[in-house]
Amino acid sequence: MAYEKPLPEPDGDRKPFWDGCKEHKLSFQKCKECDHVRWPPSITCPKCYSQQTEWIQAGGHGKVYSYVVYHQAFHPAFKDDLPYVVAVVELEEGPHILTNIVGCSHDKVKCDMPVEVTWEDVTEECSLPKFQPVNS
Amino acid sequence: MGILQETLSRRSFDNDVFGHFGAAAGYAMAAQRGMHTFGTGPETWKHIAVGQRKWANLNPEATMYEKKLSFEDYLNSDWVVEPFRRFDCCLISDGGRALVVTTAERARDLKHPPVYIMGLGQHNPSSEIAQCTYMDGPTGAKLAGEQAFSMAGVTPDDIDACQIYDCFTYTVEITLQEYGFFQPGEGEDWFKDGTIEPGGRMPVNTSGGQLSEVYFMGLTPFSEAVMQLMGRCGNRQLGPQTNTKEPQIILCSDNGGILQSHSCCILGRA
Repeated sequence: MAYEKPLPEPDGDRKPFWDGCKEHKLSFQKCKECDHVRWPPSITCPKCYSQQTEWIQAGGHGKVYSYVVYHQAFHPAFKDDLPYVVAVVELEEGPHILTNIVGCSHDKVKCDMPVEVTWEDVTEECSLPKFQPVNS
Repeated sequence: MGILQETLSRRSFDNDVFGHFGAAAGYAMAAQRGMHTFGTGPETWKHIAVGQRKWANLNPEATMYEKKLSFEDYLNSDWVVEPFRRFDCCLISDGGRALVVTTAERARDLKHPPVYIMGLGQHNPSSEIAQCTYMDGPTGAKLAGEQAFSMAGVTPDDIDACQIYDCFTYTVEITLQEYGFFQPGEGEDWFKDGTIEPGGRMPVNTSGGQLSEVYFMGLTPFSEAVMQLMGRCGNRQLGPQTNTKEPQIILCSDNGGILQSHSCCILGRA
């Protein structure tokens, strides 16, 4: 069955991130001047405005900064997932990333809960980074 | 397609890829963080939803004028996005409102008594809620409030009523908390026993606000503050008829994005 949910539309800045996802790698820009690791991608560092940047690979570990539980689908393709969790995960390297928490019941999710990345290969061209509780 | 059109038509974030849609979900995310760090939640927010509804029940212009709301109604309402229920969310309205701003000198000769701007403050802390670390404070209200109080030369103790931008119940709580009306986590105690309702010691959103009167963005709180100070609010007029203090100074707020921008304005009678 065709995948009916929205897919990422990688533009010039975000393409390296989504290309990395295809290989199950979480890639972020790191400022060469002040070491700040940033998301979303941009040509300048939001901390020091340097344009000297390298891409690094994150380890995929972090904790839930905050989350919500969807009990109603605002897009028909998500109806079968209800109830599902959308969270902001704070990665060990620093960036906050919007994602889903999977691999546990929606009522077990807590702020500051340790989580790790798990990959969902949704099409041949796209893998989504989702997160699950550590040890799940 | 021109560059501008192309840029505007392009999605700037991939939130929908993960099934994340709309402002209610963004504020619910912030509210959840507040639940975690300072222990707020529906037991606090129900006082805001129900308290504002009581004001709307005095306002014939209000969408919810004829509809009562109890704590049970609030707690039994459907999830929009957990932790927000239906009655945590503002109305959707079509319409408009306007205020006339002029110099104090010109206002002196006008038919209606003028209201004066005593203090203003603005702070816009971030561009994207998912990246922010202030969902539970300090939001833009902190610095904007300090600026406005400083310019007006008053403190929260001098404020007679508040008209707070209330897209969601949590927005009212975090805004009043940042302005210093209570400490983080003390909201439930502060709101209970009808503090913000008719007859309460600090009336808040006396038209019913965006939750229960009408959603006209920042003009809902601002127009209500002005009308109250002019004494044009009919059955809901602050003063003896609603068993509240006759207002001399009213604070109002506006808020944009998802806690990304904030304005505070303190208005007073002559």
